[in-house]
Amino acid sequence: MVGIGFRKDFADELLRSSVLTPAFIEVAPENWIGIGGYWKKQLKKALEKYPLYTHGLSLSIGSPDELDYDFLKKVKLFLKETNAQIYSEHLSYAKCDNAHLYDLLPIPFTEDAANHVAKRITTIQDLLEQKIAIEIVSYYSPIAPELSEIDFINLVLQEANCELLLDVNNVYVNSFNHQYDAKEFINALPLERVSYIHMAGHQQISDTLIIDTHGEPIIDPVFHLFEYATQQLGKDVPVLLERDFNIPEMEELQSEINRLHTIKQCALKKENYVAA
Amino acid sequence: MLLLEKTHQHQSALAIYCRTGHYKSIPGVNKKNITQYRSLVINIVDEMLKSAFPLVHNLLSTREWTLLIKDFFSNHPCSSPQVWYMPKELYQYLSSTKNHPLVEKYPFILELIWFEWLEVELYMMADQTVTHTSTGNIHANKLVLNPESQFQHFQYPVHLKSAKTITQADQANYYLTAHRVPETGSILFTDLSPALLYMLELLADEPHTFSQLNERICTDLDINFTEDIQSVTTDFIQKSLQSRLIIGFSIEH
Repeated sequence: MVGIGFRKDFADELLRSSVLTPAFIEVAPENWIGIGGYWKKQLKKALEKYPLYTHGLSLSIGSPDELDYDFLKKVKLFLKETNAQIYSEHLSYAKCDNAHLYDLLPIPFTEDAANHVAKRITTIQDLLEQKIAIEIVSYYSPIAPELSEIDFINLVLQEANCELLLDVNNVYVNSFNHQYDAKEFINALPLERVSYIHMAGHQQISDTLIIDTHGEPIIDPVFHLFEYATQQLGKDVPVLLERDFNIPEMEELQSEINRLHTIKQCALKKENYVAA
Repeated sequence: MLLLEKTHQHQSALAIYCRTGHYKSIPGVNKKNITQYRSLVINIVDEMLKSAFPLVHNLLSTREWTLLIKDFFSNHPCSSPQVWYMPKELYQYLSSTKNHPLVEKYPFILELIWFEWLEVELYMMADQTVTHTSTGNIHANKLVLNPESQFQHFQYPVHLKSAKTITQADQANYYLTAHRVPETGSILFTDLSPALLYMLELLADEPHTFSQLNERICTDLDINFTEDIQSVTTDFIQKSLQSRLIIGFSIEH
């Protein structure tokens, strides 16, 4: 199944539309916790129509600061009230020295940071009483690295025993920005942990840098990498189309959803054929 | 503590750079690309505050606006994990900063910021409910105030005049109320006289009948009850019922 990020920019259209037919929707809990009025009604309508997946922004799993337990409790309540299927967060930090930055900063690829993050993920999973999926973020510069990116990620996943949100566009962006082979990177991941996939567009701003904008259509090489990833996975994993800016016509979004769905179905058929 | 001090320091250095633009060397960094993080963070702050404060943005020059958001984000540690609270934190920062040049230049700017925040806060805030019925008669039934409302007192007419035309000469007492319309979620502002504000304050305490309200305002404010007053208050109550500032009538048992 292929879902879409429930964004206020096109929420009304999505609720009215028969053109856009995602299998589920995704929201960031922090954008909806404690709100009322018009948007609470719209979210309620959406939840009557679609299953909900959630993707946090502000928990700041990679932060040196103490976890925000009050916020975590609110997240837990939100997940329960909305019957959310998945809670995922980013392998990054968004708060440092008690100041929120509202963006995803890269964690230093070091063993101590990996252990620190893994312990926090374990604590979060214990408090939420469920496993969470961690997303590999796109990044534009390493920060004081002592490990390779893949070794850092795998250490976190192993120590935390959590699930993996595979953002295929992020892998593509990172492979371009840091000049490595995206397929080899995917091969090196513990794919049995992948419980959720994200797909999005990006913007290339120079010969050597791509920014993960979620504001453009998905490009063919990212669709191809998605096809490769789904073949390697060999299982049916929910996929999310992220579109946060430059919202196009609903037909265009549905066309991307259809393409993702077709690629996934083909990959699964091939897998079944091979298994038979 | 699993995290080494040096790792913490590197993370702090990146965060401080994003907030302030002051870069302290971090090993292994791509110096050209690291600037993206500062741009992305400032862009998020800029967009969020522009969206919350269109009137303040329109009042200030581009330079003043840019300085304001950079000054705010450099010096104020945003404490909420919910980004939509950031505008309130700007208000808190400016109101707690002594002799801020923008407050000196525009004495009404704090009120303008609060006025705009009020709209955001009421629009977003959790639903408040109160027992009431929509059927009733203003002369027979007690009136119930919309619980999703707030009263405000300003010294400048930020809700009445374009900010660019407000001067020191406008300084006076201004009263208003803001409320959320239950059906649409939209926010409506109503300019009030002190007597009408008092009437609403009485309703905020508990439901009153129309005649009780008239009696209280005349007694408490030492006003002679006249036909003119009756006409003004009747008109106000009827309009308030239409706009849903008064949400309905008390359910009599």
